[in-house]
Amino acid sequence: TTTTTTTTMARRYDSSTTTFSPEGRLHQVEYAIEAINNAGTCVGILAKDGIVMASERRITSGLLAPSKTSEKTYKLCGHAACNVAGLTADANILIDQARVKAGRYQYDYQEPIPVEQLVEYVCNYKQAYTQYGGLRPFGVSFLFAGYDEHFGFQLYQSDPSGNYSGWKATVIGANNQAGKSLLKTDYGKTAAAASDDMEEDAADKMPTLKDALLLAVKVLNKTMDGTAASSDKMELFTMTLQDNGTCKHHILTTDEAKSIIEQVEAETATSGDA
Amino acid sequence: MSILEYNGGAMIAMAGKDCVGIASDNRLGIQLQTVATDFRKVFGLNDKLFVGLAGLASDVQTVHQILKFRQDLYELREEREMTPSVLSNLLSNLLYEKRFGPYFVEPIVAGLTKENKPFLSGMDLIGAPVYTDDFVVSGTCTGNLYGM
Repeated sequence: TTTTTTTTMARRYDSSTTTFSPEGRLHQVEYAIEAINNAGTCVGILAKDGIVMASERRITSGLLAPSKTSEKTYKLCGHAACNVAGLTADANILIDQARVKAGRYQYDYQEPIPVEQLVEYVCNYKQAYTQYGGLRPFGVSFLFAGYDEHFGFQLYQSDPSGNYSGWKATVIGANNQAGKSLLKTDYGKTAAAASDDMEEDAADKMPTLKDALLLAVKVLNKTMDGTAASSDKMELFTMTLQDNGTCKHHILTTDEAKSIIEQVEAETATSGDA
Repeated sequence: MSILEYNGGAMIAMAGKDCVGIASDNRLGIQLQTVATDFRKVFGLNDKLFVGLAGLASDVQTVHQILKFRQDLYELREEREMTPSVLSNLLSNLLYEKRFGPYFVEPIVAGLTKENKPFLSGMDLIGAPVYTDDFVVSGTCTGNLYGM
């Protein structure tokens, strides 16, 4: 009943981005966020020595030409990448903005842009479309993965409102609530298992990259529940630091992905999931 | 005194069989005074692409930084490396954009094409390019470098 009343009431405050509803909500922004809940899931997990981003590949038609590039994972600069959930066309605009911003910062300061500054720039750009110009918001949520010398590896999530937050592990897109609840229980478990230092503060415990990959696939299995996991339906991305100090962006090959998926299947089989 | 001779510098690039070579001096001067002997003027943009920038030192560094910026953006968008001919064109256009307030550099580009064939080009400070298959020179003693 409450929903029906709200919908009927909301009609008058729906159409313009720049108008608050009587309840103090921006409906256009909320509808944009809704659009993303139908998009392919993306999981991001911060590990001890890197970051994992796994996403669901939605194959809408067998007639589609095989993609030479990813429609989920994008490199923003040498030390940052992002995963997209939502309208790809909208995302392309924002990604280009981010790339130019990162390049400009490097040119101005001869230093790589701190990850949070890049995220904040994209988010401020998104926010402008919720307040000025009467244009609709961007229907995109991002997972940003990056490394800088100030804060090491970082994972951020942003949504159409222009809001962002830093995470140890998070999910965006379809069934993200189910994914998040699985992360709540399992992230700590994998982290604790990976830690060999008893005196280490519980809050600092993080999983290894390998464990993070396995957990990410587990989460995708849950959110994609119903469909069998396979390497052509998932895209697994890792970011790690190489010996020379530069970042390595790596999308797992079909064989590497298969191996991870098989390991997860073996684990769930033996643990006898309820 | 010409502004292009203020800091000094000379360079040459040459093509060989399936290879290129590029060389420059390392001097940075203020007219007659030598201020540094380790000033870099040749920049490796990737494994198969080098740019030499002769001229005003400030512009040598600035143009290099701009090229890096443009190359990074190109590689992000195109997901492939920049080839020498593309870079040469980019450089030519970016110099001409400043037609009435130019960068005081006279660049040379040396690299290998996709088929690993030598590519050489040189240009003036407003981007007029010249393509050769033997050698290119630039800087303050081009006469000597040509062999005069």
